[in-house]
Amino acid sequence: MGIPGQEKLWDKEEKGHRTYNDVRIFTDDQLNNYTEEELKNFKNKHDIPMLEELEKGPWPSFVSDLKREALHRRKLGKDNLMIEQDVAEDLLGLMELSYKEGETHWKHGGIVGVLGYGGGVIGRYCDQQQKFPAIAHFHTVRVAQPGGKFYTTDYLRTFCDIAEYRGSGITNLHGSTGDMVILGTFTDQLEPIFFDLTHDLGVDLGGSGSNLRTPSDCIGPARCEFACYDTLDMCYNLTMTYQDELHRPAFPYKFKFKFDGCPNGCVASIARSDMAFIGTWKDDIRINQDAVQEYVANKIPRDGGGMSGKDWGKFDIQAEVIDLCPTKCMNWDGKKLTINNAECNRCMHCINTMPEALRIGKDTGVSILLGAKAPILEGAQMSVLTIPFAYAKNPYDNIKNGVISKIFDWWIEEGKNRERLGELIQRMGLKTLIEVLGIPAMPQMVKEPRSNPYVFFKEEEVPGGWTRDINDYRSRHPR
Amino acid sequence: MSKGKFGYYNPQKPQENRITDVGPVHYMQLLPPSLRKNYGQWVSHRVIEPGILMHVAESGDKVYSVRCGGARIMSAEHIREICDIADKFANGYVRWTTRNNVEFIVDSEQKAKDLKKELDNRKFVAGSHKFPVGGTGNCITNIVHTQGWIHCHTPATDASGPVKVVMDELFDYFKSMTLPAKLRISLACCLNMCGAVHCSDIAMLGYHRKPPAEDHEVLGKVCEIPLVVAACPLYAIKPITLEDGRKSVTVNKEKCMYCGNCYTMCMALPLADKEGDGVAILAGGKISNRINPPKFSKVIVPWLPNNMPRWPEVVSTIKKIVEVYAKEANKYERLGDWAERIGWERFFEKVGLEFSWHLLDDYRLAYDTFRTSTQFKYTDHAWAVSKAAGVI
Amino acid sequence: MGREEDIRQAILDYGSKGAKSKFYFKDMLAGVKKVIPDAGASEVKNVASKMVAEGVMEYFSTGSSTMYGVKGRGISVEKSGDSGG
Repeated sequence: MGIPGQEKLWDKEEKGHRTYNDVRIFTDDQLNNYTEEELKNFKNKHDIPMLEELEKGPWPSFVSDLKREALHRRKLGKDNLMIEQDVAEDLLGLMELSYKEGETHWKHGGIVGVLGYGGGVIGRYCDQQQKFPAIAHFHTVRVAQPGGKFYTTDYLRTFCDIAEYRGSGITNLHGSTGDMVILGTFTDQLEPIFFDLTHDLGVDLGGSGSNLRTPSDCIGPARCEFACYDTLDMCYNLTMTYQDELHRPAFPYKFKFKFDGCPNGCVASIARSDMAFIGTWKDDIRINQDAVQEYVANKIPRDGGGMSGKDWGKFDIQAEVIDLCPTKCMNWDGKKLTINNAECNRCMHCINTMPEALRIGKDTGVSILLGAKAPILEGAQMSVLTIPFAYAKNPYDNIKNGVISKIFDWWIEEGKNRERLGELIQRMGLKTLIEVLGIPAMPQMVKEPRSNPYVFFKEEEVPGGWTRDINDYRSRHPR
Repeated sequence: MSKGKFGYYNPQKPQENRITDVGPVHYMQLLPPSLRKNYGQWVSHRVIEPGILMHVAESGDKVYSVRCGGARIMSAEHIREICDIADKFANGYVRWTTRNNVEFIVDSEQKAKDLKKELDNRKFVAGSHKFPVGGTGNCITNIVHTQGWIHCHTPATDASGPVKVVMDELFDYFKSMTLPAKLRISLACCLNMCGAVHCSDIAMLGYHRKPPAEDHEVLGKVCEIPLVVAACPLYAIKPITLEDGRKSVTVNKEKCMYCGNCYTMCMALPLADKEGDGVAILAGGKISNRINPPKFSKVIVPWLPNNMPRWPEVVSTIKKIVEVYAKEANKYERLGDWAERIGWERFFEKVGLEFSWHLLDDYRLAYDTFRTSTQFKYTDHAWAVSKAAGVI
Repeated sequence: MGREEDIRQAILDYGSKGAKSKFYFKDMLAGVKKVIPDAGASEVKNVASKMVAEGVMEYFSTGSSTMYGVKGRGISVEKSGDSGG
């Protein structure tokens, strides 16, 4: 996986790991090339009075940040930068124009990426190229983010040098799908950026277009006790298995995998991914009765301390946990907490409220939900519970063979151009989906049974089929 | 080191030394050692104070995470400053959350508190915080958002600007944990929602109100007409031949839902319009399965103007909703749960919002949102109906 | 001719003779299937990917979806956004 022999390229705990100094582009002098005083006196090339109103107020100002980058680039000078030094200044100027006019100044371009890839770059061109030549081209480069969005500073500093030397020096950390985004570069720098990313950082582009999009995960077992499976490993493993689908488009439209470790859903997989893997368990919630007593005695703050900014009164386990349980499967007799686990729907409320007393079960896996998408065209959809429980262990062959490859084949075969999986499910019905997967229907797939009786029976379900003999009928019913 | 216009890349031999299909860097090499050691062995957590989380492992190890907010747009200079802080306090490790916050992981409570102080003290020269600490527990954490005017070709509003002014106004909620439950805000700058805001407690959604303008002068020359026609999800675009014989297209204005897919394919169909464009507000959605299932956000304000640079109408509307919710909801109740408990009619009354015809669904499956019951509460909206009908 | 050559030719024919200079994978697959009925999606994809790598075909992206085209036909990727064409 990854570049052979480079699995620990950036590992600071390993001898001989790569450091920023091994591949850096800028010197320390170049990086520290302006003073606080110069920053205070910095005047952008274009006046930006409206944007400067966004430097006020306590929340971090992107305008202040862009001005800093603008000054830094100006002092670096054009000889030390592979695209125009004025990128940030022109971008601020263009934004100011949009603020005056209330209209965008960007156009789309068909460019997709680097040779052989069908995604990873979004083409962007300014429609005021005479006035703002430094951002005539302003393509986005999507870079695959590491699991859990963990970084070492060596890695990030190297990323920054590439983004600044060959691009605008402006990034998104992170894009909506999860990628590290280099925001703005010229066409002639796309291949050099790709070479720098693969050779120096050891990283690949992310997805765009009709591809598998860069899969993303929650922090999972790296630092969360709610993780029901290894979200980081599964995300990495599936990303590597489906590299071809990620880079070379043959899908009808975009496809997203997201990996949530538990039903709290920190990466919003249920709303945002065509195939959502959400951690769950099938045994019992683990109870530490002593800790329950401590919650009741107000010795441990409720909700992991996350509600401590306001006085909500003494903790009332009956009102706050037992009565709010959606299935009413819990009981508190004043001494002991009991849970009827068969009736539990694993909503996480009791565990979230008393994380030091209650823990997820030990027999864990994933629920697989299919078909979420943003509104266009049929309206927003959340994903449908399809596989109630699957074990999720490396190498995940059960899920790849039992679910993913069947879904991909079906969608490629039956999906119309630009039809998301959720729309295909809606068009052809859950009944077709379960046939494709070879699974029976279950009441867990619906909120409630259908209220219209218009069932389209299959011919083979009806004795004798649909071929009727009118003469037979007439033998009983004369005309 | 890759220097010069092409660096390692040889344009004459593009396949030479080319590396492809290597995916992301493996996460394990970027994890702080304390997390590697306790990987998958976490027992519980506690928010010690706003912005500081403590996680406890089976081994007895405790790690402390300090969380701070930031603009999603980050310059290389800003990231380098984050690296400096990570080198000084966190052994050179740092991470981002899914909501654009930055986290530093340290090994003692004292270090976490020192770091919090350091982060809160760092400010841009114009005065705003660089790294405000907060975003934990029952707070309003960072807003997830899209690109807006800084980079997108179909936005109906900006993204970074509205996010900045809303967070300025709600700053105290970011830095505290006083709300009944978590409150998640998001912004998408057009209805394509690359930010997928449709399950947020409060969402800002850029909305166009005018179909694209056909630039017949150049359309046939600069765009491939079959592609433009095929781009429209509602089949509202038809090819035409102009009087002088040139080819172009026409947009059926009644059918258009202002998605901008045609403009993506063809720069001769611009969509943006100062008077037409603005912001819709949605509320009451959520992602978590806690207590009740995830739910969609509902449109509660069909349109507010883009009033640059600080969108006062958007800010005051959101602030009002947050304040009433903070005051009235029960503990553990998300905004949508609260609105459902008191009834949406009471919600509109309490937050003082108009309920206009735009909020009556007329798209597909609209009937599902109609109330087919005698259970309702009397508010001014109800009396206005009886009066207007002349039946009271 | 071998099978790969057959598919390659079918893709080229579809891409250079049809009304659209850029097309979705699915439409291209249907075009190839008209000539080679048993051609499979992954087979056609692999050949098309090779042709892209060789510079015979190119991708064209709307950002949200991707199309294929024969390089040099129709409005080119490089020029598509420059100064209004």
